[in-house]
Amino acid sequence: MASISALPDTKEGFAETHDIIVDSISHVYDSPTGSIEALDDISFSIPSGRFIGLVGPSGCGKSSLILMMAGLMHAGEGMVMVRGHRITQPEPEEIGVVFQEASLLPWKTAADNVEFPLKLRKVPKIERRARAREMLALVGLQEFQNRHPHELSGGMKQRVAIARAFCQDPSILLMDEPFGALDEQTRMTLGDELLRIWEQHKKTVVFVTHSLTEAVYLCDEVLVMSHRPGRILDRIDITLDRPRTYDMMATATFGQLRDRIWRLIRKD
Amino acid sequence: MHRATQRLVQLALIAAILGGWEAAARFGLADPRMLPPPSAVGVDVYAFIVDPGMLYHLWVTTSQVVTAFVLIAPVGIALGLLLGESDYFGRAFKPFFYFVASVPKSVFLPIFILAFGIGFTQKVAFGMFQAIFVLVISAIAAAQSVPADLVTVARSYGAKRWQLYIHVYWPAMLPVLVEGIRLAMIFNITGVIFAEMYVARSGLGSLISDWGMSFQMTKLFSGIVVAATFSIIINEMLRFYERRVEQWRV
Repeated sequence: MASISALPDTKEGFAETHDIIVDSISHVYDSPTGSIEALDDISFSIPSGRFIGLVGPSGCGKSSLILMMAGLMHAGEGMVMVRGHRITQPEPEEIGVVFQEASLLPWKTAADNVEFPLKLRKVPKIERRARAREMLALVGLQEFQNRHPHELSGGMKQRVAIARAFCQDPSILLMDEPFGALDEQTRMTLGDELLRIWEQHKKTVVFVTHSLTEAVYLCDEVLVMSHRPGRILDRIDITLDRPRTYDMMATATFGQLRDRIWRLIRKD
Repeated sequence: MHRATQRLVQLALIAAILGGWEAAARFGLADPRMLPPPSAVGVDVYAFIVDPGMLYHLWVTTSQVVTAFVLIAPVGIALGLLLGESDYFGRAFKPFFYFVASVPKSVFLPIFILAFGIGFTQKVAFGMFQAIFVLVISAIAAAQSVPADLVTVARSYGAKRWQLYIHVYWPAMLPVLVEGIRLAMIFNITGVIFAEMYVARSGLGSLISDWGMSFQMTKLFSGIVVAATFSIIINEMLRFYERRVEQWRV
């Protein structure tokens, strides 16, 4: 349990092996009904290349935490370190973000959406088009590069969003309930797809989800957060082998892990 | 209704109106001094569009309309974006716009004459004044219609403020904005022609006003036909553009 809150005091090389260090973040925000304590002294660190789940009840501040890690929101207290330096603004070359809504620009084709981050950085057209093709192939949508978002299904849109997040080859992928708006079947398929891509590219992933099954199935470790104000209740090691298979869901270990997380959330 | 049938019915309606009008004027059902037959109006319309002297008036009106629009569109859109996107400015200044927008702009025309004279500048200024309110109000609505998640995602990919405006706000605003631009153009044309009718030495409005005053009904009708056609052409061009930018909106 020591690893939950206490960070090793500036241990040599710690920042090199840990892609993300969240250090004593607390956050209070103002609402019309008064100030609300959203996050309470959150600290954790994530070793490079790990797939980490973040679960907790609605409104526990998971999304705020993701926004802070993405450099899109400033914490009232504490800080986020990414690959050895403090995050104060978005760093698209280090961090890719996927939200619950695919949030594709509706007037752009799938390929144009994927290469949009490169366009913002003024990468030459030929180069970014080649990259977009490659990324769409990675998520199995090479046939759809010239389609507009309204011609794609919900699952396909989210694939495009994932391709867009991978486009700059960031070392970190932050995913805020990326499959939350999809049906169960699509959700399972995309989970497997994500794992397949992750095995190839070994990015550090922080994956927020409401589904405990999804958390256990996908992650190396699951951070369980409490009800507001959000704190880290526990950090659960998912001891299942990789690659994960559908059959693992029926095993006793899977059930026990899922059960442990559920008890933590419910007790709180 | 089938598309071809629909066209046929529309053509039949136009033919019936023109035929009825022609007959009414020819057979004394209506006073021909008040209602000249459309065939005579048609002859005058033709005379209008082949006469360089007349086309000069059309050119004056066109140049005023275009100048007013080119000057006011960016201002109105930028102002609307500012008011729609910034909570602070929006709350402070939006009510002002909604209040003044409800006042008939024509009551201010004498002030424009006193301030700008009766020439080109005054027509342009009055056209701009007519157009700005609908431009600002529709740009506010357009700015508020931009989905917040698109802005967040673009920011997460490192978009700077100006990049957000160019790559996210502008294209996302366009479908709502083009409607406003089209309405602003109608207000603008109305403003310019109205100002010309009130007092001017040249322009479509001044011709129409003069012909009306001197009871030249056939010429008056031909002027109306030219003015109507002028507005319809501009409006349809903008509608064509509107449909194009709306394609992705399904």
